Amino acid sequence: MIVPEGILCSKSHEYVKEENESLYTIGLTDYAVEQLGDIVFIELPEIDTEFSKGEVFATVESVKAASEIYMPVGGKIVQINEKLVESPEILNESPYDEGWLIKIEANDFHADSGDLLEYSDYKDELE
Amino acid sequence: MTVFGGWEMPVQYTGIIDEHNTVRNYAGLFDVSHMGQVFVYGKDALQFLQKIVPQDISLLKENKAVYCQLTYENGGIVDDLIIYNINKSKYLVIVNAANIEKDVNWLLENAKPFDVIIDNMSNEYSMLALQGPNAVSILENCGINIKNQPSFFTITETYINNVPVYLSRTGYTGEDGFEIITKNAAAPALWDLILSKGKSFGIKPAGLGARDTLRLEAALPLYGNDINADTTPVEAGLKWSIPLNKNCDYNGKDTIISQIQTGVQKKIVGFKMIERAIPRHGYEIYINNKKAGYVTSGGYAPTINENIGMGYIDTSFETKLDSKIQIMVRNKLYNAAIVKRPFIKKRYKIS
Repeated sequence: MIVPEGILCSKSHEYVKEENESLYTIGLTDYAVEQLGDIVFIELPEIDTEFSKGEVFATVESVKAASEIYMPVGGKIVQINEKLVESPEILNESPYDEGWLIKIEANDFHADSGDLLEYSDYKDELE
Repeated sequence: MTVFGGWEMPVQYTGIIDEHNTVRNYAGLFDVSHMGQVFVYGKDALQFLQKIVPQDISLLKENKAVYCQLTYENGGIVDDLIIYNINKSKYLVIVNAANIEKDVNWLLENAKPFDVIIDNMSNEYSMLALQGPNAVSILENCGINIKNQPSFFTITETYINNVPVYLSRTGYTGEDGFEIITKNAAAPALWDLILSKGKSFGIKPAGLGARDTLRLEAALPLYGNDINADTTPVEAGLKWSIPLNKNCDYNGKDTIISQIQTGVQKKIVGFKMIERAIPRHGYEIYINNKKAGYVTSGGYAPTINENIGMGYIDTSFETKLDSKIQIMVRNKLYNAAIVKRPFIKKRYKIS
């Protein structure tokens, strides 16, 4: 598993990765997908909807249970990973690459990202 | 590991779907030591058992097993059980882990007028479930000749690697297989032996997660989900297990017989999602936008690659096969259709 440089993680196990000035990719950490187990269903939001930080924007269901996924930073949905709807297992296989969830235009990344952790600190918190 | 009924248990080893498919195609080994073993002895053992379940235990031959429900006076279900006739005055009752204390208290209360001994041995015995089409070959590789393996719903007392066991042709997966009951001290070595002797037959350890998806596909009820004190065996679709001509009284008889003869207010159905959504325990069922019932078990079914469930529907609604229903998932209704249970063909070796 290659963890991309520079991602920030939330305590609820979402990551956010900067693509350019205002475009950010959001997904689930490798720890989260491993804990969920076999993922069999993903419900993603509509493009152009806006969510604030902390709002539920998606649901990921494993064989065991349904889990709500929260916005690590607020913004407007500009792209969703439609491949996941047909093939949710991609999220298990490749959470940082093929298994990203959404891309957003962040409202105020700097204000919203204050409580997010660098990956190494996130990993330390898990132990 | 997860805590289930006070036991620390593995939910999964290699992954729920992988374990599920392994059981369907080869064999899986489950540690189900949390299940309870209660022996019933004594002169009145048969009469006592006749009083507490709707099934006719007088017809249960030596070494045979029967699926039963422990019922309250109002027909509600205390627990579901397997009763084995070990010999004329000794029966073995297998109960659900979470219900051991409740069941034993219920048995003791009902035992007062009878000359019986209720011996709760749940803490002394462990239980392994070897399930799947290769279970027979694996047992043979453990030294149990096919000829000496019990037939469906039969139990034998035998030895595996010199360890005394109760070997029963039962399970909770819809596959052929065995449940093996042995004293705790012998269980870890038996687990290792079966896994090693089963290696060339594709065996893998399987956890609680796969046990649940397997039993759901086979439409086997789970106590606490699909059956409880507020459901009767008739409502729960277990009428097939109840004889109409059992000629002695038992707890709940009036309600049960009247429901068989005149019908029920709610009944369990199986359904398959038409739209993409996963039904889960507790979700509401709607018919033509009216609330009609609730989901008791549901999830993704790996064998058929569908989202399926079971639930109760008020019988004032249409509950025929292929009827359309809706499941409320996160405040939205998704279409589903009533289908036959079980969702897969059971593959018991009934000979």
